[in-house]
Amino acid sequence: MNILGISAHYHDSAAALVVDGVPVCAVQEERLSRHKNDASFPAGAIEWCLSHAHLEPGDLDAVVFYERPMLKFERILTCALRAFPRSWRSFPQAIKNSLGEKVWARGIIASHLGVPREKILFTSHHASHAAAVLFTSPTQRAAILTADGVGEWATLTAGHGERRDDGRSAITLLREIRFPHSLGMLYSTFTAYLGFAVNEDEYKVMGLAAYGQPTMVEQVGKLIRRTSDGGFALSPEYFEYHTTAARSYSSKFVDLFGPPRSSFDPIDVETSEGRRFADCAASVQRVLEDTLVETTRALQRETGLRDLCLAGGVALNGVANARILTESGFERVFVPPAPGDAGCALGAALYADRIYFGHPDREVPDHPFWGPRLDPRELARAGREDGQIVDELVDADLFEHVASELAAGRIVGWMDGASEFGPRALGHRSLLAAPHSSDMRDRLNRDIKFREEFRPFAPVTTVEAAEQYFDLPPGGVRLARFMSGVFPVRPEWRSQLAAVTHVDGSARLQAVDRDMAPRLHALLEAYGRHTGIPVLLNTSFNIAGEPIVNRALEGYSTFRRCGIDLLVAGSTTVTKRPSARRVALEEEIACSQSAAVSGAV
Amino acid sequence: MASPGALIDRALRPVHQWVWGDFDRRVRKLIAFGEVEGDGGRDILRAAELTPDPLLRRLYLAHAIDELHHADLFRQRSAALLRTRSTRSSGLFNATPLPGGHGLDDLTIEGEPDHRLLAFLHVAEKAAAGRFAIYREVVGDDPSTCAIFEEILRDEVFHMNYTYTQLARIAPATYRRHVWRARASRLWKRYLRVAAVIAAVSGTVMLTLQYFVLIPPFAWMAKRAARRERPGWIPIPADRIESPTSQY
Repeated sequence: MNILGISAHYHDSAAALVVDGVPVCAVQEERLSRHKNDASFPAGAIEWCLSHAHLEPGDLDAVVFYERPMLKFERILTCALRAFPRSWRSFPQAIKNSLGEKVWARGIIASHLGVPREKILFTSHHASHAAAVLFTSPTQRAAILTADGVGEWATLTAGHGERRDDGRSAITLLREIRFPHSLGMLYSTFTAYLGFAVNEDEYKVMGLAAYGQPTMVEQVGKLIRRTSDGGFALSPEYFEYHTTAARSYSSKFVDLFGPPRSSFDPIDVETSEGRRFADCAASVQRVLEDTLVETTRALQRETGLRDLCLAGGVALNGVANARILTESGFERVFVPPAPGDAGCALGAALYADRIYFGHPDREVPDHPFWGPRLDPRELARAGREDGQIVDELVDADLFEHVASELAAGRIVGWMDGASEFGPRALGHRSLLAAPHSSDMRDRLNRDIKFREEFRPFAPVTTVEAAEQYFDLPPGGVRLARFMSGVFPVRPEWRSQLAAVTHVDGSARLQAVDRDMAPRLHALLEAYGRHTGIPVLLNTSFNIAGEPIVNRALEGYSTFRRCGIDLLVAGSTTVTKRPSARRVALEEEIACSQSAAVSGAV
Repeated sequence: MASPGALIDRALRPVHQWVWGDFDRRVRKLIAFGEVEGDGGRDILRAAELTPDPLLRRLYLAHAIDELHHADLFRQRSAALLRTRSTRSSGLFNATPLPGGHGLDDLTIEGEPDHRLLAFLHVAEKAAAGRFAIYREVVGDDPSTCAIFEEILRDEVFHMNYTYTQLARIAPATYRRHVWRARASRLWKRYLRVAAVIAAVSGTVMLTLQYFVLIPPFAWMAKRAARRERPGWIPIPADRIESPTSQY
């Protein structure tokens, strides 16, 4: 049975294909369209998924949309009504947005794919999140917590799921918190207040939090109060996201926390203003963590289960995830590689397969590499045509060569196999560098990533070496599999891992399992032989504002535009030839001169 | 001879003067230019990744780097201006309905042949160069912004030239026709843009009227229902039927 899952129209649209109960591919639209956070209908992703599996739309048995669009429209309309007359500005826009496209999901899918309307199914948003984590994690029974900005009405759900020995599966969501009360929206409001982009830059708030002290927890406490049943409620007078799309926070919020930061102002944590913003970030981070820890602790006591499946955009908060692991009572915490809305495409397809169709549970490969595969020949061709130094190496030589280059302080663009599904670069589309000196962090920020100084870089190491360098709690290696947890760097290694150690001594670690990414694992071992420390700096292979590279040629164009020294795609390496840029420029100048002489323009 | 677009731009010079004469509008214009140049740069970068022609790949790449650099220049300048004083919050004339910009944001790259892209780029760069020359004149009181337009204009000359030369190289028999077609296409897109703005404004007016005429009784009911809602956890009934085909 072939089931296509789709998420779209909010942010990070994606498609995923499940064949006979097993995922075969999944990709975010942004990786193909090259528009970051592309929310449009994922026509490119669907086309790629079908061609990858050699299927035609007519071969699909079901197409599953990741949420219920009319229920979502009901929420938007209801919120506009409740905010009358303050919502008069946002009402026309909201209605145009919804009626223009979003509520017609069934018709849009039918017209794009030409499939009968009865084959088009829907799941609820948080059920998609729940399925995305439960059915892809190595657990039989687990408590489930999903938390994000908002789905249809729910913003947070709690329940449990089971993959029984007889093959049957169940997801039971017991209760939910409803919009406008939302942990995700609380965090996003601070993201906007701190001058960052909502739904994109929340991780910057987490990074900034480490520079501050949670001195404003009391003020944040005025925004969110715990309810007697163990839930929470936001105080609506501090927010505007439920009444207008123009601003997330109200003037009362500004009275409480001070003037917001302009996105054009740099953050300097040495100044009192910079410290205020860092303290704001630290305070909301602390409140988020405390709320999640208390909620998961109660869920553990209620279910008595050892495993927790965590999904939704809030599950991208690695600091909170690590605290949940150590303080909630759960022994293992599973976060999928794509916990946000993109992952719902896969979740919706799996939910339909296991729950709607009642198909027996199937083991799902425990890796994030569901995207398009690399074609290293593209890189070799382009590199040779442009006069770069191109080499083809066998694996053993390649690992030694790349390791020695890394040890010599070079920055390496590393592309391998199929791309990752989700926002993290987990070793198939990564920039790698030596993690030892803070100079490397500054160089990466300045010459390649063009991003704020306060943002940390993540380390990657082997599963075998992880505990030697990082202070991992039981279950920490699992959480580090997809870079989902932030853990302390052991104090004795911090000076030697300065480029990946955040200001508070922590790091968002990826622990690489040999079976999951054998070539990256081998490279780490080779690097360990060269330097004595099998740890590398691993950051996503992109430039600020662009999606992570997908094809080899996208890696190549990024390589040509910034300070990457060595590019690796499979067994092909390209090194920058210093004169190559000059040769190209001479050609360009000749062209412009000939045009000017001929008077063509 | 000046193109019709250039003549229109010259005729609109007082409008440009008015737009750039105000601090807030100038900042918003620079921010919008930063976004448009950045989008255009990424589009051209995409063209560099897709073209099978090695020389075009190098030229597109150089062009994209220029555009992304222009985006940085605009962003930095608008940030510098913003730091000098805070802007008013008015959303009026928030860059889009005003003359300006490359218009590369609506460029389609995937599946487009190089000759069409080159013709489009040539026409767009030529129009932008003409407009930026006017902008350079009207911001004469602001040497830093003027210097940015100066630098960008130098790049635009190179971009116009290489796009035309390369178009003549890859389509020697038909390159003039492609340029005319690109001009017509640009005109059509302008018409569509104006039509879309008019449609959007009409839609907003109609919906706003409906909001105040039809919504009040429903708003009263919605507010009344909201007061009855209990904050905190809401139990999900065990027997809630999750219909696979329902959009509700």
